[in-house]
Amino acid sequence: MAKEKKRKEPPSDAAPPQGGEGEGKRERKGKKAKKHKAEAILPSQIKNKEKRSELHAKLKREKKAEKRKLARERSQAIRRAEELGEQPPERQVPRTIENTREPDETVCRPDDQELFAGNDADEFNAVLKQHIIPKVLITTCRFNSGRGPAFIEELMQVIPNSHYVKRGTYELKKIVEYAQNRDFTSLIVVHTNRREPDALLIMGLPDGPTAHFKLSKLILRKDIKNHGNPTSHKPELVLNNFTTRLGHRVGRMIQSLFPQDPNFRGRRVVTFHNQRDYIFFRHHRYIFETKESKVASKDKKAKTSESKSQPEKQVICRLQECGPRFTLKLLTLQHGTFDTKSGEYEWVHKPDMDTSRRRFFL
Amino acid sequence: MPRTTVVESPGCPPLRALTTDILGLVKVVEAHAKPAGAAKIVETWGAPDASRAIVAASLADRAADPVLAVARKNGVVELLNPLNGNALAAVKTVGPAPTDGGAEGDPLVALHLFTRQSSDSMLGTFIACTDKGKASMRSITKENAASGSGAGPSTTWDVCSGGNVQFCSVDHGESYAMFGGKGIEMNLWDITSCSKMWSAKSPRANSLGIFTRPWFTAGTFLCKEDHRKIVACTNDHQVRLYDTALQRRPAISVDFRESPIKAVAADPNGHDVYIGTGTGDLASFDMRTGKLLGCYIGKCSGSIRSIVRHPELPLIASCGLDSYLRIWDTNTRQLLSAVFLKQHLTTVVIDSHFSVEEPEETKSKQPESLVEAEAEVRKEKKKKKSKTVEEDEAEAEFRKEKKKKKSKSIDEDETEAEAEFWKEKKKKKSKTIEEDETEAEAVVRKEKKKKKSKTVEEDEEQVGVVDHYDSDGEMHVRKEKKKKKSRTIEEDEERDSDDEMCTPKRRKSGERSKSLKKSKKQHIA
Repeated sequence: MAKEKKRKEPPSDAAPPQGGEGEGKRERKGKKAKKHKAEAILPSQIKNKEKRSELHAKLKREKKAEKRKLARERSQAIRRAEELGEQPPERQVPRTIENTREPDETVCRPDDQELFAGNDADEFNAVLKQHIIPKVLITTCRFNSGRGPAFIEELMQVIPNSHYVKRGTYELKKIVEYAQNRDFTSLIVVHTNRREPDALLIMGLPDGPTAHFKLSKLILRKDIKNHGNPTSHKPELVLNNFTTRLGHRVGRMIQSLFPQDPNFRGRRVVTFHNQRDYIFFRHHRYIFETKESKVASKDKKAKTSESKSQPEKQVICRLQECGPRFTLKLLTLQHGTFDTKSGEYEWVHKPDMDTSRRRFFL
Repeated sequence: MPRTTVVESPGCPPLRALTTDILGLVKVVEAHAKPAGAAKIVETWGAPDASRAIVAASLADRAADPVLAVARKNGVVELLNPLNGNALAAVKTVGPAPTDGGAEGDPLVALHLFTRQSSDSMLGTFIACTDKGKASMRSITKENAASGSGAGPSTTWDVCSGGNVQFCSVDHGESYAMFGGKGIEMNLWDITSCSKMWSAKSPRANSLGIFTRPWFTAGTFLCKEDHRKIVACTNDHQVRLYDTALQRRPAISVDFRESPIKAVAADPNGHDVYIGTGTGDLASFDMRTGKLLGCYIGKCSGSIRSIVRHPELPLIASCGLDSYLRIWDTNTRQLLSAVFLKQHLTTVVIDSHFSVEEPEETKSKQPESLVEAEAEVRKEKKKKKSKTVEEDEAEAEFRKEKKKKKSKSIDEDETEAEAEFWKEKKKKKSKTIEEDETEAEAVVRKEKKKKKSKTVEEDEEQVGVVDHYDSDGEMHVRKEKKKKKSRTIEEDEERDSDDEMCTPKRRKSGERSKSLKKSKKQHIA
C-alpha cells in the first residue's frame, strides 16, 4: 500500500509543469508551494550528463542535510523533555515489511474457543499433553554424504530421544510403516542434494501431517566461532511468531518433536524463530551471571572505597551458541503421512501466492 | 515486478450455504443483497467434538420443509432443520451390528438424502454407505423421530466385496445410485429394486503393459434427465465419462494436472463439470469434448473436498482443507467471495430457496421506482413538447443557445436527460432482468444527485430549495430554468472561471451528444 503511494506521488509532482499555464484557476486557488516545486527541474530532465550529475549531487546533499536536521531536532526534543521531566515524544517506528504486513483473517486470536477445541482434536495433542513421550526417528535420503551425516549427528544431539535409522533402499512408505510399528511419534527425513542437505521432511505419526521444508544456510557446529558443546539435558523450546492457523499448526508440529518437560538446569534452549515465513533455527546455552557493573569498575581509584562498599551488582545473560544453525521454509503441508500420489494437501505453496511481498502465511 | 493490482470482485449475490467440518460443527454462511458483496458467517450449530466429526452431508433442498442430513464419524446420521439447526432425528446406521466397535471399524463415507417426499408423515429417506460397501436405505417417520431408535423401513445391500467405497451419488430422478472407491469399479444400482445395473470395466493396459488398479474418488451424473451418462474422477488425476448405455469402458478420459481429483460437480446445462484436486486446483471441463474450459484462479492452497453448484445462479461453492469457503462465478471464473471458517471443511451445501426473501423486497420496491422513472420520462417529454420542437431541432436550438450564452451546462443537462431517456427505454425492454434494471436505476439516481450537487455549487444563493430526497422531474426543470437566469445575472469573471472549469466536460458532452444523435438516427432508421 505504501509502495503504491510512493509510486503515485512522483507523477503528481511532475505533471504540473506541462499543464501549469493552462489551468489558471486551480493555481489561483492557492497551491503556491506546489507550483514552486513544480518549477524545479528534475535531474532526469537534463540531457547533459555533467550537469545532471551535478544537480543530482546537489539534491542529494540537500536531502541529507534535511534528514540530519530533523534527526537533530528530534534528539533535542527528547533531551528537553528529559530535562523537564516530561514524557519524551513518541519514537518514530520505522516502516518494515513485517509491520506493514497484509491483514490476514487467519491469524489466531487468544479468545477463539474453536481454536482450542481444534487443538484438542489434532494429531499432536497426545504428545503435547504429555500422554506420550515423543520418540523421533531420523533417516535420510538414499544417498547421504557430504555434510548430511554430520548434520544428522548434530540434529540427534538437539532432539532428545531421537534414533537414526539407515535408509538403505527402503521406500519411505515402508519406513513410515516401520516407525509406526515401533511407536515413533515423528519421523524426520534429511534430504541431501550434491552432498549438501537441502530439504527436511517432518512427519507426525501415526496419522499426523507431513511438512516439507526447504533447508538452507546450514552452518554446522564446528564452523561456529566460540561454539559450545551441548549437554544431554532436555532443552527448552522457543517458538516465535507462528501467528496464523497454518503457522500455529506448524508450530505445534515442531513442538511435538521435543519433550514437554525441559530440564532447566541444563540451560539449553532451542529456538525456532519465524520471520517472513522463514523459520530460523538456533541452539544456545545461556547463563545468568551477576557482575559488578561497568560503571563501578570504571570509577577512579580515588573512589575505590565507595565502590567497594556498594558493589553494584547487575545480572546479565550470556549466550553461547552450540549446535547447527539453519533456515527452513515451508513448501507444503500434507494431510496424512507421506503420499505423493494420492496425498491431499492442507497447504501448498503456489507461485501465484507470491504476488505481494507483504503477504505471509505462517 | 509482480502485478499488484487486484481485479475488483463484483461481490456475491444473495446466497445461503451450509458447511460441515471435522469438529462436527455446521456453519451457516450468508451473503445478502443489502450490504452487497461479502459473504459472512451467520450461525454455528453444535459443539466442537472431534469424535462427532461430520464426514458427509446432504440437503433435501425444498421450498417447504427442508431437511439437512449429516453423517458423523461415530456412525450416527442426524437429520437437522437447515433453517434453525434443530435436530429432528438421529439414527445409528452402521450395518447389521449397530455397535460402537462396528462403527469404528466401518465408518460412514457417503450419504444422500432424498429430495422427493413419499408422504407428509415421512421426515426423510436417505442412503448411507460405509467404507466397506454396506449401503443402507432408511426412511424416518415423524412420529418416531423423537425416540431416535425407531427408524422406518430399511433395506441394506452390499455394494462390493472388497475395497473401500469413497463416494456415492444419486441421480436427479433419485432412482439410481452409483458407487465407487478404492479398488472398486464404478457401479450403477437401481435403488427401487436394489439390484446392480451396470459396472465399469477398467481401461486396457497401456503400451508398456502397465495396469492401474481402479481408484475412483468422485463421481456424478452428467445430466438431469439422463441417468446413463456418468462422470467419474480417479485418483490418478483422470476425468472419465462413462456412457452406461453404450459400453463398459470410458467414452472419454482426460488427464488433469498431477494430483488426485477429490471432488466433482455437474452443471445443470448437462455437459459441464467442475472438478477440484488434492492441491487446491479447481477447473471446469466440457464433457462433450473433454476439453478444459478453464481453471479457477485464486489463492486456494488446500485440497478441495466438496464442490456444489447453485441450481439457478451461475455460481459454485467449494470448500476443503484450507478452511475457506469460496464462491466462484462460473461465467467469468472469478472469485466472488471467500469466507474463513477456521476448521478443515468436509462438505458444503447450498440452500437455493434462501434468495426467495430478498427478491420479494426488491420487487415490492420496483413498481414504485418504475412509475417514478416513467413519470420522469413523461415530464421530460412534456418539456420538449412545450418547446414545440422535435428532439433534434431542440438540440440544435440548444446548441445555438450555448453559443450565445456560453453556458453549455444546459446542453449537458439535456444530453444527460437524453441518456436517461434512452436508458429508461432500454429498461422497459429489459423488464425481465431485475438486477440490470436496479443497477440502471442506481446510475440514474447518481446522475440526479450529481445534477443536484452541481446546482448547489453553481447557484449557492438559491440552494434553499434543494431537497435531496425529492427526485421529481419538475424540480429539474425548475432548477434548469433558475440556472439559466442565474447565468445571465452572474458576473463575467465567474462565468469565465466556470467556462474554464468546464472545458473538458463540454468537449465530452459534445461527443456524447454526437454519439447519441447517431444512435438515435439509427434507431429511427
